[in-house]
Formats: sequence, structure tokens, C-alpha cells
Amino acid sequence: MTQEFTHYLESIKYTSKLSPSDEREVISELETHIEDKLQELTDSGLSEGEAIDTCLVQLGSPTTVARQIYEAYSQGSWKHVLLASMPHLLFGALFALNWWHHIGWLTIALSLVLGTTVYGWWHGKPNWVFSWLGYSLLPVLAVGILLLYLPKGWSLLAIPVYLPLASWWLLHIIIQTAKKDWLFSSLMLLPIPIIIGWFLAISPTGRFTEYSIQQIYSLAPWIGLSFITLALTIATFLRLRQRYLKIGLLAVSGILTLTLVVYYTNGQLNTLSFVGLMIVMWGVFLIPALLERRLRHGRIIPWKRRHTDSPGIGQHA
Amino acid sequence: MYGYQIVKELEARSQGYFKFKEGTLYPALHRLEKSGLVTGKWQMLPNGRQRRYYYITDKGFAKLATERSQWQDFLNAVKLIIQPGASSP
Repeated sequence: MTQEFTHYLESIKYTSKLSPSDEREVISELETHIEDKLQELTDSGLSEGEAIDTCLVQLGSPTTVARQIYEAYSQGSWKHVLLASMPHLLFGALFALNWWHHIGWLTIALSLVLGTTVYGWWHGKPNWVFSWLGYSLLPVLAVGILLLYLPKGWSLLAIPVYLPLASWWLLHIIIQTAKKDWLFSSLMLLPIPIIIGWFLAISPTGRFTEYSIQQIYSLAPWIGLSFITLALTIATFLRLRQRYLKIGLLAVSGILTLTLVVYYTNGQLNTLSFVGLMIVMWGVFLIPALLERRLRHGRIIPWKRRHTDSPGIGQHA
Repeated sequence: MYGYQIVKELEARSQGYFKFKEGTLYPALHRLEKSGLVTGKWQMLPNGRQRRYYYITDKGFAKLATERSQWQDFLNAVKLIIQPGASSP
């Protein structure tokens, strides 16, 4: 493979976001096509350089090819939709049925989340695992909250240790996820601003009191509804093929669910909180994209524009 | 048939009228495969290279018959429009 074709195929790999096994198959097939094409062109009397240029033009823009490959592979099956929606439905049910205060149900839910996440993570990180992965970060958050209940001196000692460790762990997970596709990182983190919103509403001081418990009881149906909204978002996300629609869906769903949170908290969250939550949501949404860009920077050499000005499939004029 | 062969066949049958951006053939084939209309199999060539051959499935044949019939109706309709004399006595 010449450098031009290596760049061409790298560009397709970067944009098509396939799993390693699918990527290998697609790239092998394209490589075979390129070899056949070059053979035919050089047999017809073209020089090597001319054959490469002609072949690249006739293959079409790598962006178009990669986008079409992405759309061919991006739709999840109904089984995957069910699996991916499950953690949101599970937590939605915990609140909608008021089972959130039963330690048994909570333990079952968290064990299921951790078990499924570990299973999915070690079995090729399928697309459905990322919604579970988001919830598996909850124990880390819970440890942070518990630290607030330590005796005053201990809290001051523990929090400076906890914050960098938790941030490092979160960043590590985001990086690992963004290596596959930043959209899955955003998908994974989508519940975080929602959970923070509800937490602020039920516990404005950051500590659980009797008032917080009463608040959860009164808000439980709406908390459940927000998780069910997330489940519907994930289901739609997995069934959509087009990337721009997936991005739009996550953005709109995040804003609508946060608005729902603020609306149903009956004034517990003021405008400043809403703005803060919106910033967190956009951060959750955009940081993985920026991270992915940074991770990939330098790996891809920009594709020469002269080869990209033709449409994907066209008629011979 | 394999991808490159399909491109060449299409070009030959349309007498050079249809020229695909060849890279876009593969996403189309993979979509058909995911819909169960074709199936792809890797085959080892005598020179050690591998090629992916595509075979139409029973579901694909059924779909092809429907699509072919629709295209035929469409072509007949267009023909009636552009050659009105041909259909009238």
C-alpha cells in the first residue's frame, strides 16, 4: 500500500467508527479493491502515479465513504436497544415504584449495573454497554458524598485525596470510551447533569436530612420519568443511523430533561442552578469530542482536498 | 461476485453510463448484507489473497423481483410519456 492509500484508509477508519473486527473486514475489502484497480490501470498503460491518482478519484471522497459505512453499521438491533435502555429503566422503576429506599433493591440494581458493565467492557465494549457504564460511576459519586459525613478534620483530609483520584478515574474512563467514539462518552455521561440536578433539588446543602427523604418521596415519580426519558433517548439513539441526528438527539434530550428536572422541583432550583446544570450538560457533551480530537491529533494526515470534490455516487456525464 | 467485479459488470452492462464512486459500493453491499438480502463470504485465492464474494439470498431474490417489477412499471410509464405515439394506435 502506498502512502496515499494508507492515508485514505486511515481517514476512513477515523470517521467510520467501527469495531475492530468490522474495521478489519471493511479495510481488507477496500485494500483488495485498490489492488485490483491499480492492477487494471497499470495494465492499461498508466504510470504508477497516474494510476494512484485515478484510483483515488474513482474511489470517492473518504469522508463520504466513511459516512456511508458508519450509517451501514451504526444502527443497533432491538436486542441492543433493550439492553442499552435497561439501566435507565431500572433506575426509573426504582423511583417510580418507590423502591429506592429498600437497600435490597438498591443492592440488586447496583450489582446488576456493575456486573453488566464489567461483562460488556471485557467482551469488546458493545454499543449497549455505555449506558451501563455511566451508572457504574455512581458508587464513585456515592463515596464522595459519604466523605462529607466524616468528622470535620477527616473530611478535609479525605476530599483532597478523593477529588484527584475520582477525576483521574473519570478521565480514564472517558478517554477509553472516546477512543471508540466520543458520542458514546457523551451518552455515558448524559445522566450526570440530571442526577446532579435532582441531588441539588433534594439536598440543597449537600447533606441528606429528613427533608431530603421527604423531597425524594414527593419527587420520585418525576425522577422516574426523567430516567425513562433517558431510556427513550438511548433507544432512539441506537436506532438512528445518521450521526448528525444522533448528536442532535443527545443535545435536545439533555436540554429537555434538565428543563423537566427544574420544572418539577417547584422552585428548588433557581436560574443560576439551571444555568450551572446547562454548563455541566454541555461540558459532558463537548469534552469527550474535544478529547477525541486531541487523542487522534497527529494520527491522521489531512486528506488532499483535490480528491474530495466529487459526490459519492454519480452518473457519468 | 465480488465488489470490484460488480462495479465492472455494472459499467459494462450500462455501456459506461453508470460510473460509481467505487468506495461507496461497499457501504451499500454491507447495508444489503445487514438486511439479509445478500451474504458475504471471504474466499482465499490461489495467490494467497482474500476476496469477499457476495451471494444473493432467498430474501434478496424476493426483494429483487419486487424492485424489478416496480422499475419495469416506472420505465413503461416514462416510455409512455416520452413516446406517446408508441402506445396510441
